[in-house]
Amino acid sequence: MDKTKILIVDDELIMRESLSGWLKRDGHVVVSAASGEDAMRMLKNSRFDILLVDIKMEGMSGLDVLRLVKESDPDVAVVMITAYGSISTAVEAMKKGAYDYLLKPFDPDALGVLIDKITEHQAQARENIFLREQYQERTRFESMIGQSIAMQKIFDMIEDVGPMESTVLISGETGTGKGLAAKAIHTKSSRSGGPFVAVNCGAIPGHIMESELFGHQKGAFTDAKETKKGRLEMAHGGTLFLDEIGEISMRMQIDLLHVLEDRVFYRVGGTQPHEAYFRVIAATNRNVEDAVKQGVLREDLYYRLNVVSFRMPALRERKEDIPLLAEHFLHRFSQETNKPVKMITREAIDDMMLYEWPGNVRELENAVERAVVVGKGPSIMPQDLPIFCHENVQHSRHRSLSEVEKAHIFDILRECGWNISKSAQILSIDRSTLYSKIKRYNLEKPT
Amino acid sequence: MPGNRNVKNVQEHIIISPIGHLDPHLIRQVVQEVHRITGYDALAASVLQDVDFAFEPSRDQHCSTPILEKLADAAPPGAVKILAICSVDLFIPILTFVYGEAQLGGKACIISTHRLSEGLGTARSDIFIRRVVKEAIHELGHTFNLRHCKDHNCCMHYCRTIKDVDRKTHHLCRYCKVLLEDEMKSMSKI
Ligand SMILES: Nc1ncnc2c1ncn2[C@@H]1O[C@H](COP(=O)(O)OP(=O)(O)OP(=O)(O)O)[C@@H](O)[C@H]1O
Ligand SMILES: [Mg+2]
Ligand SMILES: [Zn+2]
Ligand SMILES: [Zn+2]
Repeated sequence: MDKTKILIVDDELIMRESLSGWLKRDGHVVVSAASGEDAMRMLKNSRFDILLVDIKMEGMSGLDVLRLVKESDPDVAVVMITAYGSISTAVEAMKKGAYDYLLKPFDPDALGVLIDKITEHQAQARENIFLREQYQERTRFESMIGQSIAMQKIFDMIEDVGPMESTVLISGETGTGKGLAAKAIHTKSSRSGGPFVAVNCGAIPGHIMESELFGHQKGAFTDAKETKKGRLEMAHGGTLFLDEIGEISMRMQIDLLHVLEDRVFYRVGGTQPHEAYFRVIAATNRNVEDAVKQGVLREDLYYRLNVVSFRMPALRERKEDIPLLAEHFLHRFSQETNKPVKMITREAIDDMMLYEWPGNVRELENAVERAVVVGKGPSIMPQDLPIFCHENVQHSRHRSLSEVEKAHIFDILRECGWNISKSAQILSIDRSTLYSKIKRYNLEKPT
Repeated sequence: MPGNRNVKNVQEHIIISPIGHLDPHLIRQVVQEVHRITGYDALAASVLQDVDFAFEPSRDQHCSTPILEKLADAAPPGAVKILAICSVDLFIPILTFVYGEAQLGGKACIISTHRLSEGLGTARSDIFIRRVVKEAIHELGHTFNLRHCKDHNCCMHYCRTIKDVDRKTHHLCRYCKVLLEDEMKSMSKI
């Protein structure tokens, strides 16, 4: 969800309360800290987009907080709050990287304008990364591999639900093959001649999602130079695959529910109703029931989507599939790269069987691909596998923490095909944190 | 208290409480619109006589937060929400002034007419009434857990200037309508 997360740091309770009350009514997620020390502790565990920091506090001063925050995460916007007497300090703070300062008490519109300006800025930065890295999933229509009982059950399920018209909700961890299962269902359906249109709700920034899905009328907003068809329209007669449905904003959920109920939608800026007939398959790697309980996913939408549902098993729950999958990927990548890598050694397979594969089949696929590329001989050895990356461990001895972080983030991004949501999940940080780290380390997707 | 949950001896309603002297016609308009938009019975009743206790001499204004607490405490049984309308200038400690304040997802809210006559004469004016109605619906919306809305026409839009207030309508956009219905549904479950 694209909600702005704000941390208020002020030692005066009454200021914290009145400010957080106002910001919550404005729709933000707000947390307060009563001291700079508290704030630093909170910043260890979660990331905020904006910090509102009082300059004069007992203990750690506002300037100290500013300095430490800017050192660890320069993309956080820090706004200083100052009383009339300390304007000169505020000016100094601006030189040290504060975004702006507010003189308290401040005008409600000054606060509103500033928060809007910052969020727009940050959304723009995210959009740029999104457009630059324009996430692309491997789009082969792959066959699904698996001999385990768990996978056999999935295959049966796909055979059964394919020809039905009902909406399907697929859950399961990242990289378990939800996308593949969705395509397979489409292939088995009467709509298989129609389009299969995938929308990755987690990868598309919130503010461009609406026009992505619904399309827009020329002139609907500044950038709308042409009338554009949305993905709903493109899915007409086929299947609409809503990937990472748990990431979708409240507004979009309301609109989607509407479409699913009435089959009618409007382009952004348009007044003419459009009809679209498509089957919906949704996927999520969140626990859906939890998302409903937390109010992140609307209950009514959930019931609409959850007509038929199943969970893709994690790879570690069906390790017997690992050798088979590894062979399959080896075959494919050795052909693609024209390298005569013929087999995977017993030891390498053993290593694979011991590993937990948090990124599931996708991680295995990427590991094999990398091994084929970097491997020197006709067979894949344990040292060709990035999971136990023996060389890297040695080189890292003289590297700084941030160098290691940078390299690790880059590795994960590469393993996930630069899919931000997936990488963020494996790294256990939220998407906005990952975006800011990509920007900070100047990471770019190799072309 | 088990067994007592569904017993409602008083019809649920929303109270509109004028504080100090206010044009009865204005109050009637607010009552009418509140009923139309929320579906609840709305009735005018004076719950707080004055707000002197909230006066802050150093700022020559009234702080709205303690007023909300008093209002919520004073709400009679059956009053699901309570909206006070006053004519004194309001503030919260961090801001220079507010048009109104509400307990997000809570019971009480308040609006002030003090700054809503900007640019208008002293005569009773429709524009003034419309402004008051909009701000009333807006603050009440917050008590129903609605947040600010980016739609400029929606009543839950946050207005920076009085011009913005005049531009928006007293209606909720389709999103806010759905969210209001959600909140009402969840209220009736409890
Ligand atoms: N059973 C399988 N057989 C062959 N390849 C598979 C299988 N399962 C997954 N893959 C491959 O793994 C990669 C990830 O699959 P997919 O995108 O379907 O996962 P996902 O569950 O949708 O993940 P996410 O939630 O991260 O989007 C793809 O390249 C896919 O081809
Ligand atoms: Mg996927
Ligand atoms: Zn408001
Ligand atoms: Zn709205």
